Amino acid sequence: MNRHTLILSLLLATAGCATQPLIGTAPRPAPAPREPAPDDSEAARAPGAPRDPGFPSPDAETRRAPAPPTSAEPPPQAAPASVALLEQSRSQRAAGSLTAAASSIERALRIDPNNAELWLELGEIKLEDGDPLQAEQMARKALTLAGGDRVVAARAARLLARAASCASGGC
Amino acid sequence: MTTRRKRPASKKKTTRKKTPARKTRASRRARGGSFFGGIVGLAVLVAAAGFVGFATYAALLGVEISREFEARRWDVPAQVFATPLELYPGRRLGLDDLVAELRRLGYREAAVADRPGRYRTRAGALDVVTRAYRYGAEEEPSRRVSIEFAGGRVARVIDASGSELPLLRFDPLQIGSVFPVHGEDRLILEPSEVPPLLIEALKAIEDRRFDEHHGIDLKGVLRAAFVNLRAGEIRQGASTLTQQLVRSYFLSNERTWTRKLREMVMAIALELHYDKDELLHAYINEVYLAQDGARAIHGFGLGSQFYFGKPLAELELHELALLVAQVRGPTYYNPKRHPERALARRNLVLEQLAAQGIIDPQEAKQAEARELDVLSEAGRSASYYSAFLDLVRRQLFEEYPREELERRGLKVLTTLDPAVQAAAESALIRELDAIEANRGDAPPLEGAVVVTNPHNAEVLALVGSRKSGYDGFNRALNARRPIGSLIKPVVYLAALESDRYTLASPIDDAPIEIRLENGQTWLPKNFDDRARGLVPLARALAESLNMATVRLGMDVGLEPIADLLMRLGLEQRPRPYPSLLLGATGLTPYEVAQIYNSLANGGFRTPLKAVRAVVSEDGERVQRYPLEIQAAARADDVFALNTALVQVMERGTGASVRRALGADVTVAGKTGTSDDLRDSWFAGFTSDRLVVAWVGNDDNRPTGLTGATGAGRVWSSVLRAIDTVPYSAPPPPDTLLTWIDLDTGLATEPTCPRAVQIALPRGEEPPRARACGDSRPRPGAQIRRFFRRAFE
Repeated sequence: MNRHTLILSLLLATAGCATQPLIGTAPRPAPAPREPAPDDSEAARAPGAPRDPGFPSPDAETRRAPAPPTSAEPPPQAAPASVALLEQSRSQRAAGSLTAAASSIERALRIDPNNAELWLELGEIKLEDGDPLQAEQMARKALTLAGGDRVVAARAARLLARAASCASGGC
Repeated sequence: MTTRRKRPASKKKTTRKKTPARKTRASRRARGGSFFGGIVGLAVLVAAAGFVGFATYAALLGVEISREFEARRWDVPAQVFATPLELYPGRRLGLDDLVAELRRLGYREAAVADRPGRYRTRAGALDVVTRAYRYGAEEEPSRRVSIEFAGGRVARVIDASGSELPLLRFDPLQIGSVFPVHGEDRLILEPSEVPPLLIEALKAIEDRRFDEHHGIDLKGVLRAAFVNLRAGEIRQGASTLTQQLVRSYFLSNERTWTRKLREMVMAIALELHYDKDELLHAYINEVYLAQDGARAIHGFGLGSQFYFGKPLAELELHELALLVAQVRGPTYYNPKRHPERALARRNLVLEQLAAQGIIDPQEAKQAEARELDVLSEAGRSASYYSAFLDLVRRQLFEEYPREELERRGLKVLTTLDPAVQAAAESALIRELDAIEANRGDAPPLEGAVVVTNPHNAEVLALVGSRKSGYDGFNRALNARRPIGSLIKPVVYLAALESDRYTLASPIDDAPIEIRLENGQTWLPKNFDDRARGLVPLARALAESLNMATVRLGMDVGLEPIADLLMRLGLEQRPRPYPSLLLGATGLTPYEVAQIYNSLANGGFRTPLKAVRAVVSEDGERVQRYPLEIQAAARADDVFALNTALVQVMERGTGASVRRALGADVTVAGKTGTSDDLRDSWFAGFTSDRLVVAWVGNDDNRPTGLTGATGAGRVWSSVLRAIDTVPYSAPPPPDTLLTWIDLDTGLATEPTCPRAVQIALPRGEEPPRARACGDSRPRPGAQIRRFFRRAFE
C-alpha cells in the first residue's frame, strides 16, 4: 500500500538517524528522571505555584517497578455469603417471587460485585420478569467480568440470544 | 426496629368515627330549649344562653383538638435508614471496626451479652445479641452470635446453636427523617416500645393524679392559683400531661388566662374522646425535648437517639431520668449548655422517683452518681447526616408528594454506609486541617466528597462541607465548579471511540492556536509552559498535557465529546466550545461522580442512587428501585482508558496521591485543577469504590493547591480508611495488555524503566523498540496503524 511504503521509508530514514527520535523528546539514558508532572490546567501554571512540601515530586515514582493493572490481590473470600444469597434467590424465584429473588442477588452483588455469575443470575431473573433489555445489559456486564471463563461466556451468550428473541417478541 | 409502629387498620377507623358522633351529641345539647317566662325564666334564659354559649365554645374546641390530635397522631415524617451492616466470613473488618459500627448503632458493651443491643468483646472475638427488625419485606429475628476475627477479617460467625452463618445482617441505622418545613422531627414509638418506667416516671414527675383526673387537676390548679395570686403574677402551673399535650399542639407557650381556659377545655375534651393510654402514648411521641438548628426534636423516641444515640428501650436509669428532666424546659435544662442545671434536675427526678417508691433508693443513688453521658457535639453531628439526607430528599421529592413524605410514616431504605461516611468526613477534616497548617494565613478551605459503589451506582457517602452534621451549603450537590483536567479521560475515551487512536498513538504536544467563534485566538499552555513534542496518548493523559489534549480533542471533534459526556451520565449537554477540552465547564462533585461512575463501571451507566426502597408504614407495600444498567461505551475502550488512568497514578500527575496509599494498591484516577488554582479536584476508583473529592474556597479565591496537593490528599485519605479491593479488571477478548515505553510509545520490555502496561486493540500493537528507551523500532518490526496519525 502506498501509505505503508511511505511510512516505512520514513521510518527507515529516521531509524538511520539516531539523534532524531520518532516520538517524544531527545533520547536520554534510562532511567531518565522526568521533569515533575505537577498538575494540569492551562492557566494553573504559575511558575511559583506553591507545592505541598509533604508530597515529593513524582520523580522517584518513575523508578518504581510499574504495577500492571491486572495484578491486584484476589477479592475477599465472599464465596459462602454469595453462595448463600444465590441459593436464597433461587428458592425465592422457584416460589415465584421474582422481586425478592432479584433483591437477594442485588444484596450478593454488594458483597461480591465482580462475580459474573451473579450478574447472569440477575439477567435471567430480569428476563423471566419480562425485561429482556435489562437481561441483555446484565449479560453484557457479566461478559466484561468473565475473563477467560468459558462457562460464564457460554451462559452469557445463551442469555443474550434469549433476550434478543424476547425483545423481538419471540418468547 | 425501635421506630416501627404497628397500628391495626380498624382502630384508626373507629377513632375517626368518634369525632362526628361527639359533635352531633354536643350540638344536640347546645340546641337545648328555653320555654320559661318571667324573671325566673329570664334568669334561667340568661344562664341557659351562657351555658349554650359555653357548650358551643367547648364543643368547637373539642372538635378542633380532636382533629389536631388525629392529624398529629398519624403525622409521621418518613424515616430514613442507612444500609444495614453485613458480616460474612472473609469480610475485611477487624474487631475494632465492628465495635465502632456497633457503637454507632447504639449497641452497648456489657459484661454479658444477654439482650438485644448488648455485646461483649473477648480476645479476637465478639459476642452480640442483634436486634430484631424488618428490612423492606424481610424479617430479621434477634440473634445471639459470636463473631471471630483473624488477620483483620471476619473469620467465622457462629450462632447460639453453634452452627456457622454465611451472612449476618444487623439492624440498619436510622439516619434521619423527612421532617416538614415547620421543623418538627420525631420517631414514633409503639406502646410496646415504651419502657414502663418512663410512663411511671412521667406521671410521678409531671402529673401525679394523671390516672384519676379528667384532663385538669383541680387540686393542683387551686394550689397554683394560690401561689400565683400571692405573687401577683403567673408563677406556677399545674398542667396535667393532657394539658401539656394540648399546649404542644398549638406551639405557643404564652401564658394568659384565656389561653389557659382554652387549654383546660381542650384537655377535658381530649379526655372525653380518648382513653388514658392513648393520651399518654401521644404525649410520649409529641413532647418537645430539644432544638437542633432548624430541627425541633419531639418525642422520647427521637429524644433518646438525639441525646444518647440509642433506642429508648436501651436507656439506663440515669439517661431516662435526664430525658424526663428535659420535659420541663429543654432550653433551660440543656445538658450541653447548662450541664449543672441538667444534672441537678435529673437528680431531682431520680430522688422523687425513689421517694415515690418507683425505683429503689439504692438504684437512685447509683444513678445520681453517673455523668450526664449525652453524646458529644461531634458524636451528635456525626449522627446527623445532613448532606446525604439532602440527596435522599432530592431523589424522593421527584417521585413522592411532600405530604406523603412528611406525614405518612414511610420508611426509606438508603444506600448510605455509615462507616464510609465517617471515614470520608474525617478524611476531609483531617486533610484540610493539615493543608491549612502548612499555609499560614489564608481563608479556610472547603471541600466535598462523594463515594459510590460503581457497580450499582449506590452512593455510600456524601460530604458537603468540612462541617458535616449541620444543615448548610451542600457543596457535593450544589457547588458547580470548573472541573479542569477531570474532563480529559472523556476526551481520550472519545479519541479511542473514533477508532483512529490507541493509547500508543502519538500526539503532538506543541503550541496550538485555536480560533474561537468570537474571533479571538486561544493559546492553551501546559502547566509548566513546556512542550513535550510527540508523545503517546497514554503519556499525554498521564501527565495531563494541555496542548496535546487540545490538539487531540479538536481532531476528534467537540460534538462527539459533548455527546460522550451525556452518554456517561451528564444530564445537561455542555456547550461544545474548545475550552470544554480543558474542563472550563462547571460541574458539581456529584455530577463528576456520575460520569466517573460509568468509567469505573466498565462503561455501564446507571444513575447514582441514594434510595434503595421505600416501604409503606404498615410494611405491606414496597417500592423498590431495582439495579438497572445501560452500556454507554464499548467495554474495550473503557477498559483501555482505565489502564491509562492507572498510569496517571503510577507515572503521572496522580503519583504523589498514589504513593500515599501504600505499595500494592492499584488505583485509577485523575487530577483536576481549574484556572489560577481555584479548584482542586481528584476522581479515582478501585475495583469496587469510586471516590470524588473537591477542595476550594467558597468565594472562588485561588487555593494555591493542585488537584494532587489538595483534593488528592483527601482522596487518598478516604481510600486508606475504607474497605476496598484494588482496581483490576479482566481484559476484554480483543484487547491485549502490552508494555510500551511511555516516552516513545514503542513496545518494550516490562523491565525497562519507562515501561507501562496499557491495553491496545489486538492487531494495533506498536513496533518493538531496539532497547529500553530507544526511540527506534527494531529493524523489520511490523508497522501497523500505529504511525498512521503521525504522518497523515
